[in-house]
Amino acid sequence: MAIITRKRKAATREVPVDNFSDEELADGLLEGILSHSEDESGESQNEDEEESIGSSDIEGLSDEDEEDIDSDEIPSDSEEAVRKQIRDLSTSDKPLKKKTSGLTHEQDLNGDAEANDHLDSDDDDRPNYTVTTDANGNTRYIYKEIDPVYDSDESDAPETTNTIGNIPLKYYDNYPHIGYDINGKKIMRPAKGEALDALLDSIDLPKGWTGLTDPATGKPLQLSEEELDVLRRVTRNEIHEDGYDPYPEMITYFSGKEEIMPLSAAPEPKRRFVPSKHEAKRVMKIVKAIREGRIQPYKEPTGDEEQEEEQQFSYDVWADETPRPEHSMHIAAPKLPPPGYDQSYHPPAEYLPDKAEIAAWEEEDEEDREREYLPRNHEALRKVPGYDRFVKERFERSLDLYLAPRVRRNKLNIDPESLLPKLPNPDELKPFPSTCAAIFRGQEGRVRSVSIDSRGIYVASGGDDGYARIWEILTGRQVWNVKLSDEDAVDSVSWRPGKDAAVLAAAAGETIYLIVPFTILTPDVEQAGRDLLDAGWGYAATKPQTSGAITKEPPAKWSRPGTKLENKGVLVQATVRSTIKVVNWHRRGDYFATVSPRGQSSSVAIHTVSKHLTQLPFRRLKGLAQSAQFHPSKPIFFVATRNTIRSYDLAKQELVKIIQPGAKWISSFDVHPGGDNLIVGTYDKRLLWHDLDLSNKPYKTLRYHQEAIRAVAYHQGGLPLFADASDDGSLQIFHGKVVGDLMENATIVPLKVLRGHQVKSRLGVMDVQWHPREPWCVSAGADGTLRLWN
Amino acid sequence: MGRIKKKGTSGAAKNYITRTRAVKKLQISLPDFRRLCIFKGIYPREPRNKKKVSKGSTAATTFYYTKDIQYLLHEPLLNKFREHKAVAKKIGRALGRGEVGDAKRLEKTHIPKVKLDHIIKERYPTFIDALRDLDDALSMLFLFANLPSSEYVPAKTIALCQRLCLEFEHYVIASHALRKSFLSIKGIYYQATIQGQDILWLVPYRFVQRTGGDIDFRIMGTFVEFYTTLLGFVNFRLYASVGLVYPPKFDAKSDEQGGELGAFQIEGRRITQGDESSAEDIEPQAITSAEAQAEVEKIVALAASTEQEQQETLADAVRTEDSNNDSIDTFEPTAADADVLPQPEASSAEAAALFAPFTFYLSRETPRAPLEFILKAFGSKRVGWDGSLGDGAFTTDESNPAITHQIVDRPVVANGSLPEPYVPETDNGGATVTKAQWPRSTMPGRTYVQPQWVWDCVNQGKLLRPDLYAPGAELPPHLSPWVKAKKGEYDPTIPLEQQELEGEAEAFEDEEDEADDDEEMNEAEQLITNGKKNGLEAIIDREDSVEVGEGMDVGGSESDSDEADEDEVTSARDFEGFESDAESDVSDGELARRQHQRELEAEAAGESVEPVVKSQKVKNAEIRKKADKKRKDEAEEKERQKMMLSRRKRKLMKRIEYGEDKRDKEAEGLRKKRRKLEKAKTAADAA
Repeated sequence: MAIITRKRKAATREVPVDNFSDEELADGLLEGILSHSEDESGESQNEDEEESIGSSDIEGLSDEDEEDIDSDEIPSDSEEAVRKQIRDLSTSDKPLKKKTSGLTHEQDLNGDAEANDHLDSDDDDRPNYTVTTDANGNTRYIYKEIDPVYDSDESDAPETTNTIGNIPLKYYDNYPHIGYDINGKKIMRPAKGEALDALLDSIDLPKGWTGLTDPATGKPLQLSEEELDVLRRVTRNEIHEDGYDPYPEMITYFSGKEEIMPLSAAPEPKRRFVPSKHEAKRVMKIVKAIREGRIQPYKEPTGDEEQEEEQQFSYDVWADETPRPEHSMHIAAPKLPPPGYDQSYHPPAEYLPDKAEIAAWEEEDEEDREREYLPRNHEALRKVPGYDRFVKERFERSLDLYLAPRVRRNKLNIDPESLLPKLPNPDELKPFPSTCAAIFRGQEGRVRSVSIDSRGIYVASGGDDGYARIWEILTGRQVWNVKLSDEDAVDSVSWRPGKDAAVLAAAAGETIYLIVPFTILTPDVEQAGRDLLDAGWGYAATKPQTSGAITKEPPAKWSRPGTKLENKGVLVQATVRSTIKVVNWHRRGDYFATVSPRGQSSSVAIHTVSKHLTQLPFRRLKGLAQSAQFHPSKPIFFVATRNTIRSYDLAKQELVKIIQPGAKWISSFDVHPGGDNLIVGTYDKRLLWHDLDLSNKPYKTLRYHQEAIRAVAYHQGGLPLFADASDDGSLQIFHGKVVGDLMENATIVPLKVLRGHQVKSRLGVMDVQWHPREPWCVSAGADGTLRLWN
Repeated sequence: MGRIKKKGTSGAAKNYITRTRAVKKLQISLPDFRRLCIFKGIYPREPRNKKKVSKGSTAATTFYYTKDIQYLLHEPLLNKFREHKAVAKKIGRALGRGEVGDAKRLEKTHIPKVKLDHIIKERYPTFIDALRDLDDALSMLFLFANLPSSEYVPAKTIALCQRLCLEFEHYVIASHALRKSFLSIKGIYYQATIQGQDILWLVPYRFVQRTGGDIDFRIMGTFVEFYTTLLGFVNFRLYASVGLVYPPKFDAKSDEQGGELGAFQIEGRRITQGDESSAEDIEPQAITSAEAQAEVEKIVALAASTEQEQQETLADAVRTEDSNNDSIDTFEPTAADADVLPQPEASSAEAAALFAPFTFYLSRETPRAPLEFILKAFGSKRVGWDGSLGDGAFTTDESNPAITHQIVDRPVVANGSLPEPYVPETDNGGATVTKAQWPRSTMPGRTYVQPQWVWDCVNQGKLLRPDLYAPGAELPPHLSPWVKAKKGEYDPTIPLEQQELEGEAEAFEDEEDEADDDEEMNEAEQLITNGKKNGLEAIIDREDSVEVGEGMDVGGSESDSDEADEDEVTSARDFEGFESDAESDVSDGELARRQHQRELEAEAAGESVEPVVKSQKVKNAEIRKKADKKRKDEAEEKERQKMMLSRRKRKLMKRIEYGEDKRDKEAEGLRKKRRKLEKAKTAADAA
């Protein structure tokens, strides 16, 4: 609004009609405009332009809304008002009625109440200052201190100017005024439209009037027709000048156009006239390269690619070939196998699959198929269709070539026959027992032990019924028996080696009985046996005195078993501390060893028949003793504990060797008549052959039984045979030949499985014994029978 | 005291490298690594102990040999790949900006060209090495030569493959290196012997190949890229070795008209042209003018007739000459038990002479390309074919009198049923000479055969009786020339009696008799369909009868059947051979004793002893029993021996036996089928 006012003022000022006095014009209004335009030149100019261009004729009333829009100008307005007020105050000390009226006339024209306000306030503020003289003698206005109370600045709430109150204005229609102000003065009716029009009409706007003031000259800004046209064009984004070329041809200034006058007066340097050495050098380099053919003249690459490719194979890669040995890790890709008969388009009819085979092939998963095609028959070549897996097979082959790990596998190009060992002809292995020749019945309960006497006539057996029995080997007839114990089983029977006398040792419970069976032997043999056993009594009678001082309990008590037994031929009994399981004789027949596994320190005992003496060779035995045996020729004693066998030199009284069969539980073992080989039977179903010279580990491990092995035995009479007895009810006969040559290992050949014994409560064959000369063996079964095999 | 060695710093852990690590080490992408591996022939390895290599884990991983990867690090191709990547980036950028021209220029000028020459030299230090590895290359290239072009397979590649393949075929023809060929259901196998190396390749039949599914043509393309380079250089060297110019002149026009082999013009090298031997090898130049052709035909016909005459008259002379020429005499062992030493097979001279005197004409329905190749490779200089089969024929005139053999693959149709061929009237008056056209008329003196005749002749190295292969005749089976029957394998070429086991035929007869009761045995097909089941039943029956009749020990057969299962158990059970042996002996003795008893009784009654007339069945049973017993004895003996083997050897033995068993079973099945077929055939003949 202020701007508009200004414009108006400027315009009015320009108008030659002199409504106002010159002083009025001079005193400050113009100044204010100036200062104002200085303050907000940018804004106002824009506004001016807009206004002047947007609407060439100015509608005062329409400016109302413009004020509203330009809200940011309001503070400046008010500021200006204050300033003006101050100025008014400073400039006019006299009340200028005329001026006021003039102003009101003008300001009311704008419908502005503010101006009135100011004027009014002018009147009110008169006692604001006191007039004094300053140092120069001029008048000096000293203003009162402005009390900055709330109402001191009354710019916001317009005071009521008309004091007529709340009555309709039409009452004043007939008067030239419309009311009274606060001072009781008439408020004159503002000019109406007609008057304004008349006024405007009276004002003749000159051509090019813009209503703007040229800030440079302070004169109103006049714009010519051309200038306006330019403005219009600019606003329309047009080229503002006719015939203006926005894209003129570029004129190249500074483009080597030789100036007549040099910029520098310096003389031309020599280098401008002398060819460059550096360049010459570089050129020579290129020339040399061209001469040597290192640089070829550029040729446009022709589109003829085939020519290029032909060029590709235009020399021999292998012109100077030198064979290179393949890297040891290199594995060449295997070639695909050539096609077989079944791939033929017209194969022999037998290669064609039948329906079942076709169905099976189709049913199979594609990856599991042995071959990826089905043989087909086509009568003529023209009927052969394309193979639909061709590309796929090629692709798979290429995948194999670069993706498949290659491993060198040794092809089994071995004749299987060469793997098989050369075995002796079965005929050469004969004789060996193959059939059951006789069954010895008549015992109750299991037969625990069996033994054949050294002449090969009688078989002794001991079983759960507590009897020791003697049978005739050929007929199977029981010739003699004796009940040794009521509650204990006869665990072991063993004939004394040697043909001169026949003594049977039988163990029942803790007691060993030495028996010379009554009435079945020839008198001289019987007598020899009796003598043998009786010899000890004398020794025992003399001995106790010497060793009687030792209060220690003897390892065994030797005594006579009593008349009832003695009548049967049981002559001597010796009782040890715990149950005896194994009895084994020394080859000479003077000693025998007993093993009572529970006996701990007394588990192994060596008895001397001739002295009725018992010795405990081991004070403390590591492990549970299982069996013990004398070496057939040397003074060596073998003791088997649960998983090792130790051999002791009896003469030197030292440990010779520990044999480790690697078994969990040894059941029995036997020493080869040569003395250098052992067979060991174990409860964990293994039969182990030990070569003592070779190692303490087994030479062969044979696992042909399904149940535990109870007993093993070598043939002692010169035949290369051995046998084992197992809980699966079978005996197995092996050929086991030991050659004197140290370089040659023993030959072991399985010969025969002898079945016949029944398995009772998971026990099969309890013991096996060989005939001293013949290839016969006798086995004791848990079914209460003895069987002779030949 | 030495320092404690850290784990994984030496040995297998260092020798092997996983694929991921290899790719990282080479700093290339996985597809580039794949390409590099294919080009350089580097393949994964299987470490002996996976745990040691992969720090204890046993996950499935691909391992490469570290040295291989190290050797890849110095590969010039690696730089090319990197350059290529950079250019590809630039092209991508240009395309992103829409600067197509730039992209085109970059592609044209900046993309590095990969040359594989040095790799060929490196992978195959000698020419022989390259020949040894030619199998896959040829198969692949022949496949690609027959593929249609697609977005993965550019037409340029296919054209190159075709060119290289045809050039190679030309060499094979010129050097008569082809030895064998085989028509399989997959395609045609060829085997050529070049400089002592047997090269076997497979060419598909000309049908559209199925290329869908999971086939990655980028991988195949990489292989093809390598193989084309290889074959190009091999061809160069091969051509040079027989004194030919490489590359041969290529006639694009002829190729467009389906000239194939004929589109190439083989030239001798100027230096060697004076040399007679090489001049002989050179293909006759393509004859263009009709007059010249007629002339040549005349000469050829003359030559052919004279040659035939000569052959007939000088047959014995040739025989005597044979003993004096350079070729190797065949040594034939006089006794059966002698070892047979291998002798080299047919020489190229023999191959060159096989079809040399003949002129062939291929009917329209025959596959021209393989026939042309194989006939020319075996010496035939004059192969003509129907004009519709393409350019480059010796003659397209079926009635040409020079033709000695016509290859026909059409069913025979009764003569009268055919309409007269349309004979166009010629301008120069009168009816033209009616052309001899099979099947309407046959030319006298001309042999009509089916294509298989060519292949069978080639494989056997001699001319076979053409009447067996006459049009419409039932062809003899086409057999693969590479199968050498080993001991125990079935061989279809020798009669059944020579290869069957003792007692097998008798067993078969018996079971056939049984089957006869309820089945019609005349139709071979029906036989085939239920053959298998019958066979199985028969086997079971036989076992039963053995057990009942002979009182065989049940335990023995049990042990046989359980054999495969467990080591320990079997070893425990196996061992009882003699027992059953003895018992069967007993039963045999028992039989004899009964017979004797019968005789005695008869004698006592005063009757003459009636000789027991053995029926066929009984006889069969006896033979069979004997054979069975013998086999059983052998098996027992073997079992006994096996028991003494160490565990390792026993396992080895088991593996060998597994293979043998499989082979035997297969052979037995085939023999059975054949026997059935033969029987059906004889029955049909009798009827």
